[in-house]
Amino acid sequence: MTQQIRHTHTVPGCAEPDGPTGMMHALLREIADALERFVATGEVTAIDMRGLPLSDADRVGIERQLGQGEVSAILTVAGQSEIWETAISGVWWVRHLGASGGVAAEEIVITRLPEILATHPDDARDGLVRLRAMLAAPPADTTSPHIATTEDAA
Amino acid sequence: MNEPATLGEALSRRGISRRAFLKYSAYLASVMALPASASQAIAQGLAKARRQSVIWLSFQECTGCTESITRSSSPTLEDLIFDLISLDYHHTLMSVSGDAAEHAREAAMKENKGKYIVVVDGSVPLKDDGIYSTIAGITNLQMLKDTVKDAAAVVAVGSCAAFGGIPHARPNPTGAASITDIVKDKPVINIPGCPPIPEAMTGTLAYILSFGKLPELDHLARPKAFFGETIHDRCYRRPFYDKGLFAESFDDEGARKGYCLYKVGCKGPIAYNACATLKWNHGTSFPIQSGHGCLGCSEPHFWDQGGFYKPLAAHAGVSAPLIGAAAVAGAAAGGAAAWIARRHQQRYLAETEAIDRSVGKDKG
Repeated sequence: MTQQIRHTHTVPGCAEPDGPTGMMHALLREIADALERFVATGEVTAIDMRGLPLSDADRVGIERQLGQGEVSAILTVAGQSEIWETAISGVWWVRHLGASGGVAAEEIVITRLPEILATHPDDARDGLVRLRAMLAAPPADTTSPHIATTEDAA
Repeated sequence: MNEPATLGEALSRRGISRRAFLKYSAYLASVMALPASASQAIAQGLAKARRQSVIWLSFQECTGCTESITRSSSPTLEDLIFDLISLDYHHTLMSVSGDAAEHAREAAMKENKGKYIVVVDGSVPLKDDGIYSTIAGITNLQMLKDTVKDAAAVVAVGSCAAFGGIPHARPNPTGAASITDIVKDKPVINIPGCPPIPEAMTGTLAYILSFGKLPELDHLARPKAFFGETIHDRCYRRPFYDKGLFAESFDDEGARKGYCLYKVGCKGPIAYNACATLKWNHGTSFPIQSGHGCLGCSEPHFWDQGGFYKPLAAHAGVSAPLIGAAAVAGAAAGGAAAWIARRHQQRYLAETEAIDRSVGKDKG
């Protein structure tokens, strides 16, 4: 993956308070409690960032505090989404962007893997149908790369 | 090729995975202040739902509500919401089609009898047998009654449809009435605002599709998810109110410092709406953030409240010192914005879990 994930989201506005409000530490404590529950019981928690009265400074501060871990992904469906595991294992940041590039939804998810990254069983079934159809159809282009088979080897 | 049975199938045929539903449902859960964990239930509900037939009637209105919904901002909501619904008739958008549009409405009513949703924007004139607004020679009143007769539910969008709005303002020359004044035998959801927030309209429709039921409504039939709290409750200027710091005019030092606009007429404390959290124009801003007080446009009779620039206390005959007292009393509440959001989410979590079970039963 070559695309870089932006790690600072600036909320547009002309008069919103931009200094820290104290929410950052409250939220970090909430994340810690959720992670404790996850470790103990496996309970998954999702925290909706848009529902919290965070200032720009709070958002930037939380991102900095949580840092970036080993995994990041760009999802391209109905606009782009940026997903990364923070430096705190088990704490994921999920940011869905709308068509205009603005943030449509943003969550911190305490889980092994955010649900949206996994292949849905129905999609896997659809994939199988498409692949079977592809294999059943005669090759349309003889210049396409040849796929080696066991017959070739013989 | 056969018509796809479900929305999931329809998207799949276009090569779009179920992740689109998960993304849309995360967005929907966020805008409706549902717990983020509810998004999976929404995604499952949407994937198994059928396209919802919608008939959109426009009566005494200014087209602002339609302008608003066609500018809704979300994960390509412009595409997704119209994948979720089948907009079989929209008076304003289809007016150029003339008779063909009216036939489309009649055909949709026949094919989806008892299942379609009627969306109405605009009030209905009742005076002089309703002659002040007609479509294809049919009065708004008659068209409403004919169309609603076999509908599953009615959604009144905009303050004109919900409460009469500006046409209903004194002296109300056309005898403008709201939809709930007329429709008594069908469930009616009011989504007021002048115009309403686009996400409130699309979110409500998506909620109905996901869960197969109406969202929780307040005493004015407004979805509590969007109209459960006042603008004041969630306003970023609320801390200034709590500290007793007010703009006294639009060009004083207080205004420049972004102080509370209560004294210059802001109706935020009595206006139930989601502007302070969802905002407008792709989440860019809302009136208070742009330096103007809230007009309270999502409340009944907002045009006749006695002046947009008079403080609420003036209407109630409350003296200035009491505003300060109110500010002190509000201080505790001001620090509790996050708690309000949490309380709201917890209430919905309990309900959503119950709905999730019933959706699994009905749709599975």
